[in-house]
Amino acid sequence: MEPVIHFAPYTGWVYPNETVFEWSVLIALYPYLTGLVAGAFTVSSLYQVFGFERLKPVAHLALLTSLCFMVFVPLPLLLHLGHPERAFNSTLTPHWTSAMAMFGYFASFYVALLIVEAWFAYRPFIVQQAQQRTDLLGRFYRLLTLGSNDLSEHAMGYDRKWIFALAVTGIPAAHGLHGYVGFMYGSLKSREWWASDLMPVIFLFSAIISGVALLVVLYVASCKLRKIPIDAACVKGLAYTIWAFIMIAIVMEALAFANLVYKGREGIEMILEYVTGPLLIPYFLLQFAIGMIAPLLWLSYMIWRGTTGKALIAGVTVCACLVLFSVFMMRWNVVIGGQEISKTGKGLLSYHMPFFGKEGALVTIILTLAPIAMLFGLTRLFPPWADDATHAHS
Amino acid sequence: MPKHIFRLLALIAAGLVVAAIAKPLLTDSSFYRYGHYRADSVPEIAAQEPVYQTPSYCQSCHTERHAQWSASNHKTVVCEVCHGAAKGHPQNGKLPIPKDTAKLCTLCHEAMPERPRTQPQIQVAKHAGGQQCNVCHNPHAPKIAAAATKVTGNEAAGKERAAAACAGCHGADGISPNDTWPSLAGQNAAYLVRILAAYKSGDQTDAAMTPLAQALSDGDIQDLAAYYAGLSCKATSGGKVVGDADRGKLLAKNCASCHGETGIGSNPAWPILAGQKPGYLANVLKAFKAGLRKDPMMASVSRGLSENDIADLAAYYAAQSCQSTKQGKAKP
Amino acid sequence: MTKDSKPTLAARRAFLAKLGGAATGAAVGAAALGILPAASARTEAPSAGASFPTKDYDWTKHQWGFGVDANKCIGCLRCVEACKKENDVPGNAHQFRTWVERYVYLEGEDHVRIDSHQDPVNIAASGSEKEYRFANRYKDAKVDKGFFVPKLCNQCTHPACVQVCPVGATYRTKDGVVLVDPTYCIGCRYCVQACPYGARLFNEEKGVADKCTWCYHRITKGLQPACVEVCPVGARVFGDQKDKESPISLFIRNNRVQVLRPESGNAPNVFYVGIDKEVN
Repeated sequence: MEPVIHFAPYTGWVYPNETVFEWSVLIALYPYLTGLVAGAFTVSSLYQVFGFERLKPVAHLALLTSLCFMVFVPLPLLLHLGHPERAFNSTLTPHWTSAMAMFGYFASFYVALLIVEAWFAYRPFIVQQAQQRTDLLGRFYRLLTLGSNDLSEHAMGYDRKWIFALAVTGIPAAHGLHGYVGFMYGSLKSREWWASDLMPVIFLFSAIISGVALLVVLYVASCKLRKIPIDAACVKGLAYTIWAFIMIAIVMEALAFANLVYKGREGIEMILEYVTGPLLIPYFLLQFAIGMIAPLLWLSYMIWRGTTGKALIAGVTVCACLVLFSVFMMRWNVVIGGQEISKTGKGLLSYHMPFFGKEGALVTIILTLAPIAMLFGLTRLFPPWADDATHAHS
Repeated sequence: MPKHIFRLLALIAAGLVVAAIAKPLLTDSSFYRYGHYRADSVPEIAAQEPVYQTPSYCQSCHTERHAQWSASNHKTVVCEVCHGAAKGHPQNGKLPIPKDTAKLCTLCHEAMPERPRTQPQIQVAKHAGGQQCNVCHNPHAPKIAAAATKVTGNEAAGKERAAAACAGCHGADGISPNDTWPSLAGQNAAYLVRILAAYKSGDQTDAAMTPLAQALSDGDIQDLAAYYAGLSCKATSGGKVVGDADRGKLLAKNCASCHGETGIGSNPAWPILAGQKPGYLANVLKAFKAGLRKDPMMASVSRGLSENDIADLAAYYAAQSCQSTKQGKAKP
Repeated sequence: MTKDSKPTLAARRAFLAKLGGAATGAAVGAAALGILPAASARTEAPSAGASFPTKDYDWTKHQWGFGVDANKCIGCLRCVEACKKENDVPGNAHQFRTWVERYVYLEGEDHVRIDSHQDPVNIAASGSEKEYRFANRYKDAKVDKGFFVPKLCNQCTHPACVQVCPVGATYRTKDGVVLVDPTYCIGCRYCVQACPYGARLFNEEKGVADKCTWCYHRITKGLQPACVEVCPVGARVFGDQKDKESPISLFIRNNRVQVLRPESGNAPNVFYVGIDKEVN
């Protein structure tokens, strides 16, 4: 008999309605993308606000990365909606008791902030291009100048103040945006696996490490592509950042898990059966051992030994890739894992990701790569390279 | 303030103004009326048409069925449970009459250990030998009047009692001398017990039988039943046959599931019809049809029979041999 | 305890509501996008006199309640069948507005066996995903205890599903039923996740969340919910809690009723009799 609807296989006792998986891989991708945004923005802020000079080579790249990923953040959500054309309802009549309601406002505010901050950061470049170019692109830059080519010290002073103010506003905004994603899960009492007070914090720190790791990869890759030397000091600065935050991330997640097990409320047997069974590899091995502990140890070793040069760059890049993978696994284990443990506390389900289809692996991969493609395009229009002669801004 | 900052602020302000104007314009006018939702959606949802009607809806046309059903044990099972939702009926056609009652009825009546004991349940494999339920049960009045009881009477005592009370009408050896009264010889004992008990209790009435039966003790009834059941029946095609036995044979197919193909059924609680007096058979059927005799199953099967049908059936059963009862009824 | 906790709970909710208002204000200030003040001015009903939602039915005059007597349920699933037809619920063996669970304790086993329609054995017994029947899988087993438990939306007084809806497409009516506005729902399924009872489903065809409404279109016309109408054994009881002689008021008064997962704080309105510790 052909099943009428696609349902998840299960063991034990689960509610009938649970056998249809409602939040697919796209919903795991969504916090991953916002996390990358928050993390990348953190790097840009470390330079803009806190004056981490060694991060200067990636400061503008971080800003552009943030912007590109933020533009794609709503897409997995929209693709997942039963009625994407009604998505606007959440901004028309936002229901403030819902953790999800502020998304529309928050996201659009944040996108606007990123655009304005990037605009200020690139204004000298835009003005310069607008004055030099006479082609169609020149017209585009002239539009962006808003009709003012004022690069006087007076005007630039204003710009610096704006950039600082926007960066300062952006830090709570980026982290708030991502912390609330954690709250979306942590605030649900229906699932023991999600209902943790530490969830927003866990999401936040894993977000930061993923964003920083992404910048490591993007920076190293861009230098290779542009055939210029990699600034080891910058990479080391990023490595320090990852090292510091990965520790907090590990501790937080371990605490949350310990709390869950120690409190041992209803349904804990099933959670333990789950984490020691189907979740053993994705959770303990992939997310923790390979994705977090291994990079932490490796980074510690390199910092202790004072590794420099190619070894450092290679080491940090590999660690960054592992962290990127680990954070994706974390999102997966939360979003998919939460649904694989039945609300009944008496059964387990298993999610099978389709490859094709609206919510399949292919779409997920495309959505992950799309921001990078956009970034590639944007770097042509707005080169973020600190070493570039055409880039006038300090 | 530098020009570019002023223009940026103007741009942002313009965006906010557009949003501020658009929001109330695009928001549904009934939103927020009673809370954070579209108030108009409540009457929209309330306006949906019910699909399931109620028994009173069915009653307006199916009065007789409704009356039968509402007096039966099945009165808690509303019409649409078996016949489906009545929305659109009768305008859009008939509602189904379930064919596979063995499947339908066992939804409720298949014996399951987790079912409450108060629920009537059957062991499907043992109960009906794969037959459909409506062969023996009328779904609108499912209770069968008789369960086959064990008859433990004394034949000799019965013989004595019969000579005094019954022989005058039903014949010395249980063979009726006329066409109106039934022969009793060889009849199923359980049936005889049931019918005498019904006369005694008043569930069934007859000018002659009621006072006679009321004079009998329960032990007498047992003895009488044992006695008559033990007598040998002789096919006595006495009395005038008015019906067409061949036509009756065709009609009798509808009765065969309970009364057997030739009028000898498997359940000893039901009467043997083979070799019975045709006049008596016809009278009884007419009585069921008129509601003078009360049995839910017989009431519904006799309802569709014409005078001729009844005569034909009576002719057919009267002409059958009752001899095989010897094996069929074997001592209970 | 209960006396104390109720006002506390109410106070907490009132506080949260105020906080929500403050947050709204803050959000408006910060994002400078929302036009909420204009909205809150419109919250009062313009037509107080007219009856709502229909001209024959005033929702302020009723408070519906539902009772389930698991002692009586025979697991015939006519309620499930009726619900699917009455409410156009997707015809499959995995999504239900109401369903029945079977609990069986076998001799010598220390755990309960639970199943419902989505179990392949039951689907095979009914022969179709669109027909519903419990397989007689324990007929030859030694059963210590067994019973059926009908489930449906609890129409909670403090529904978690309504709390999480981002757009206001689901709400609790004044007469105590949680409804989904199918023309406004965006299909995010947050409510499906938030319900601790697994009572919500996502209707793929319509692209919106779907749930039991206690047959709101029937009860506002004076009829019983379809599942109650067809139940042959009276295991489902429905009525108006404002009427002290209604079936549900009598059911609650005459039985020691309980609700599912009281610790969730949702304050469910389906009252159960005859269930045991494993049911939640």
